[in-house]
Amino acid sequence: MTATLEPRTKLPPSQHELAEIVHRLEAGGAMVPDTPENLMQIVGIWYAYAVPMDFYWRDLLYIAEQVFLHPLAFHKFFISEEYLNRHNHYAGDDADLRIWRGEATAHPELVKFIRRGETLPMPRWLHHLWHDRINMEFAEECMRAMLWHRGMGGQFDPYLDSEEYKQNADRAIRAYFRGNPIMLGLYRLFPEMFLEQCRQASYYANLGLFWEVMAPVFFEIHDRYLEGSITTVKDAMNFIVKGIFAVAGRPIYHHVYIRGECYEVIPKAKGFMWLYEAALPYVEAVFYRTSPFRGTKSYNAQAGMVPDKQEDFHYGVLYADKFPVGTAGIPPTLLAQDMFHFLPDYLRDYYRRHCRGEADMLVQLAISFQRSMYCVTSAVFHALREALLYPLDDPNPRHLLANRRFFEAQLDRFCRPEYGIREAARIRHIQSPDYR
Amino acid sequence: MLSVLIFGPLLAGLAVFLLRDGRQAKTLALVLAALMVVWTGVVLRRFDVMATGMQLTELVPWLPNLGLNYDLGCDGLSVSLLALNSLITWIVVYSTPATVARPRLYYGLVLWVSGGLAGAFAAQNALLFVLFYELELIPVYFLIAIWGGARKQYAALKFLLYTAVSGILLLGGILALGWLSGQADFAYEHIRATVAGLPVAVQGTLLLTLLLGFGIKTPLVPLHTWLPDAYVEASPPIAILLGGILAKLGTYGLVRFGVQLFPELWQQWSLGLALWGTAGVLFGALAAIAQKDIKRMVAYSSIGHMGYVMLGCATATPLSLVGAISQMVSHGVILAILFHLVGVIEAKVGTRELDVLNGLMNPLRGLPTVSALLVLGGMASAGIPGMMGFVAEFLVFQGSYQVFPLFTLLCVLGTGLTAVYFVILLNRTCFGKLDNRTAYYPPVWAAEKIPALVLAGLILFLGIQPRWLVQWSEQTAQNLALTTVAVAPPISELLPK
Repeated sequence: MTATLEPRTKLPPSQHELAEIVHRLEAGGAMVPDTPENLMQIVGIWYAYAVPMDFYWRDLLYIAEQVFLHPLAFHKFFISEEYLNRHNHYAGDDADLRIWRGEATAHPELVKFIRRGETLPMPRWLHHLWHDRINMEFAEECMRAMLWHRGMGGQFDPYLDSEEYKQNADRAIRAYFRGNPIMLGLYRLFPEMFLEQCRQASYYANLGLFWEVMAPVFFEIHDRYLEGSITTVKDAMNFIVKGIFAVAGRPIYHHVYIRGECYEVIPKAKGFMWLYEAALPYVEAVFYRTSPFRGTKSYNAQAGMVPDKQEDFHYGVLYADKFPVGTAGIPPTLLAQDMFHFLPDYLRDYYRRHCRGEADMLVQLAISFQRSMYCVTSAVFHALREALLYPLDDPNPRHLLANRRFFEAQLDRFCRPEYGIREAARIRHIQSPDYR
Repeated sequence: MLSVLIFGPLLAGLAVFLLRDGRQAKTLALVLAALMVVWTGVVLRRFDVMATGMQLTELVPWLPNLGLNYDLGCDGLSVSLLALNSLITWIVVYSTPATVARPRLYYGLVLWVSGGLAGAFAAQNALLFVLFYELELIPVYFLIAIWGGARKQYAALKFLLYTAVSGILLLGGILALGWLSGQADFAYEHIRATVAGLPVAVQGTLLLTLLLGFGIKTPLVPLHTWLPDAYVEASPPIAILLGGILAKLGTYGLVRFGVQLFPELWQQWSLGLALWGTAGVLFGALAAIAQKDIKRMVAYSSIGHMGYVMLGCATATPLSLVGAISQMVSHGVILAILFHLVGVIEAKVGTRELDVLNGLMNPLRGLPTVSALLVLGGMASAGIPGMMGFVAEFLVFQGSYQVFPLFTLLCVLGTGLTAVYFVILLNRTCFGKLDNRTAYYPPVWAAEKIPALVLAGLILFLGIQPRWLVQWSEQTAQNLALTTVAVAPPISELLPK
């Protein structure tokens, strides 16, 4: 059953083809229908996402700060104890801002999984080779999407091309390869290649700092759902909106630790803020754009199946076809595998009752994940609207109309016919509970 | 010994029909069909592959005044088809859904058809053959008319009319054959001994009559028009019965009555017969390419594959006859797996339309095992080496090339066309992207895969170890052969000088 929130406005009904969703947004709701079933899926999958995410952000920062430009970085997924025990700034007793009431160190379920895996007791590298591990490929794919698209607004990305950044990076690169004439020689020959690797490391840091916030947000929402204080999709979405504003000013930076010394490739003093330099580019790159996934479908650029402009790409999670999950180790499959390990029991039971139960749980959870990301995107819409426009209960109809134009403009991104997006976007699918 | 294969299913069918509880019908039918498979194993074990002539003979005088005796026996041709009959019957019973309506009647009819077919394959008396031949007509009519698809009545009536005409032609031809030969009975060996003495025109009329009769049953182009409707409208298990074994009555008759009883005339007509078979191969393949319904595509492929049998029979070299007999068996097995899989796809997806089906190879939401087996079945049908379809087709080509090189090459082209339509079928059905709106198919249970897995195992085993396919018929083919050519002419000789 699709629940629709009644619009509070006195505006005439929207003429947009997704008018029902426009009205729901105007009433403070999400793009996902507000039903208990949807809430259960969204909150449950956020929990299953947050546990591996607790590993993703730690490992991303480990790679950005410690592994850096190691030419043979085989060990980059074998996170050090230091980073596993690193305190999250938004959880634990010593948090800067305590979002989650749990521990600041790695989530207990994550630690248990990393120590023992789900197969046999064996050395960690064997667990890794057996894919009995958290798959960082998804996290790296997200980072690469941000790096590859670039130019998505904010100051962080232009800074990577600045002279100041190049000088900072140069210092770090020379320090990192000190005593290594081969690498330093290569750096002299191909400075741009090393600089590009440094930019990539900066995006590792960017995404790591972004997810360091999101993991405790999702944990806390889940706890509150179990306690009964979050009872609607709107509640869950609003928690994210509040979280976005609470941590919006968190600095985004890139520090590299070489022989015990800290090199500030992107100093905190630059004032890059979490909301504008990490959250929004992430949503744009990962939710909307990314790139055609290899292995699921042959995209024919000559037939116009791949847009000429990168800003017109539409292969993100909001468009992704979840049915090929399970084929050729593509990143969404690996994310689904990661979430599969940590599904709450109630969600696992729910999946068992639908479609093929155990057999296609990866597809079902991937579709729940898609639903949940529409909810997160709705939170971003509302956060932007609160930051840039007017309250939903503003008495001025012109302001309400401006809000409506904003929502409609956002939804237009799911309706563009020129690249077949109208059919590709899953916004229509998630309106139905039968899309599983 | 052979009587068990005939009366076993007939009595089993009666037992199933008389059951009080219809829910037990499938179990009983399955057990009895399995016993027939076991008994066929016993028959095969007793069968001496090196012996010439009929084996395991049984003779009981019945109506000697009419020349009708209960005369059974088997050679390599019969025993191969008897084995196929038992296997296909078990597959048909097993693959029938447990929810089939009127189960007692259904399984009873299936078993009666099986018994009738066994009788026809084992009969050594032409009149007895016709009796068994006719015995399956009405049960099959009901199997299509009651348990068929949307146009079942039309398809069943068409099948009935065609097969009735076929039966009348055969009955007329065989009665005339017996009477004109002046023999006291209709035993094959007696008829064969005297046919050569008949005037050529009479022989020609009789052979043509029989050819038309068996040509309808096989079917051969242009007598095939009942087949697509019957195969498509019949439920998948009955389509397996029709294509897997019933159609083999026609090809069996071509060898038994054509090659065996009219050797000289057959040899004289062989050019035309080879042309007839080749036309069937090309027509069947081209018609299959044009289809949008995968079941109809498989049905037309059947017409094409019968053409290979006709080519092998027309050539009538030892090798080509072994190939023709092997092709009958191989086609029965391959068609059974294809129809079974098509039936599973239709049951799960709800359509057989090529334009709708897509992405069934998807490992989580598709039908991956079914798709993989469909690929295997398609490859076997297209004669890919390592599978039993290759063995049969290769033997037909190797044996026929010596006598009819051009027709053989055209038939080789036909195998290429077979690959074309199977690539179309597999590409559209199994590959591509699973559609978001429709990808909620029920899972395929292990029990539904078992028939296909059994058949796939057989296809691979007999493809890798073809001796188990051909050894039964080698001696028979040697006896029946009308032509022997030791060495094939080089291809360069076929090219214009």
